[in-house]
Amino acid sequence: MPDLIKHQRSREAQSWLKKEIAEQKVRFRKIEHEMNVVIARQRDKWFDEFLERIQTRGYHVHFNMMRKIKPEEIPKKPKRRTKVVY
Amino acid sequence: MARPHIEPFVDRAVPFKKMALPGFPRGMHYKMLSLDTDTGACSMTVMFEPGYELPPGMSYSEMELFVMTGYIEMEGKQHGPGSYICLPAGVHLPAMKMPRGITGLLFYNYGEPSFVESDADHPLAERHKMVKVNAYDDLQWSATNFFPATAPGCMVKILKFDERTQAFTFMYCMTPNFWQDNISYHDCAEEAYHIWGTSWMMQFGELPTGGYFYRPPYINHGAFRCKLGTLAIGRTDSQLYNHFHFNPWSTLAENRERAGARLLAWKPDLYQWVATGDHNHPADFEFPHAHYNEKGERIFHHHEGGELDHNHGRSRQSTAGKRRRGK
Repeated sequence: MPDLIKHQRSREAQSWLKKEIAEQKVRFRKIEHEMNVVIARQRDKWFDEFLERIQTRGYHVHFNMMRKIKPEEIPKKPKRRTKVVY
Repeated sequence: MARPHIEPFVDRAVPFKKMALPGFPRGMHYKMLSLDTDTGACSMTVMFEPGYELPPGMSYSEMELFVMTGYIEMEGKQHGPGSYICLPAGVHLPAMKMPRGITGLLFYNYGEPSFVESDADHPLAERHKMVKVNAYDDLQWSATNFFPATAPGCMVKILKFDERTQAFTFMYCMTPNFWQDNISYHDCAEEAYHIWGTSWMMQFGELPTGGYFYRPPYINHGAFRCKLGTLAIGRTDSQLYNHFHFNPWSTLAENRERAGARLLAWKPDLYQWVATGDHNHPADFEFPHAHYNEKGERIFHHHEGGELDHNHGRSRQSTAGKRRRGK
């Protein structure tokens, strides 16, 4: 049950891959910086708003089943920097 | 699968490039969404120029095509927006024309893009696995039926489902004013492309029309919001389970460990057997060709540490299993 038929990869395909991989590295670095650094402050606000909502309106457990999270259940922000793109 | 975490990426921000790989006639253009650096498998937005023609042919890799605009003419029939095809490796399609051109999404799942002219299937091709459906006209929306499920207002249409891995390709939508207040991660990689509309995720902000992500396993995403509605196509590489929680700061490693702890809690006997066996890739009697193909040739299968080339010997039963059976 082959998902891939064995074949010899052509030189053109090898060269194309090399170029695309290099471009993807650049794309990834840009996204990583944008997400992990540039919008970090805004995202902290979004996190705060979420933690407030799940104590007042509720947290989605399953489909439309929600429960209100108690203040003592709310996790504390760790000292490390928040990473969202890995 | 070695694709980086691409999230978010909006394809409207980049121009199309000419597809110059051998085999593809001139007039095909693409935008790379994500690429597996090991295998060359990739996801692309594609555009075929008006008048584009493709002779009968096949791909070396399983591929999926979704038509967003325009139509493909094949054997006298028109396949317009919403048309989806999953073509197994080596299965050929007849000649096709795109009189007004098309835009679409093209996924090569196990190797780099390839096209080989052929009016017959490759001897190893599995034609019975081909899927051809129009996601707009042939299928209706249903609520997600996994447990735990997404909030009301997120609906799906399943386009393709792999029995062995539970990987699936699906269309999904978020209805206007959809909201879901939890954080999710999965044991599988997930990718999606916004055909139309903008949604918001707490970690990454807004994803508009043309927006895309490829997200490896155990990465937090959510809460979720959508103001005006969204139509998207999504894919996973194995079973999707929603590990919901409300800790915005949990890391990938912590999420994975939690998933492992849950597996131990939910399936303790299975967990112990797999974890303690010294031959830790159990065989599935329904899919014996995970180790050998129909010709008896050994094929790729995963081993701890990446060691592939070894002799199973006469018996593939784990010694842990033997201990359990009192041998």
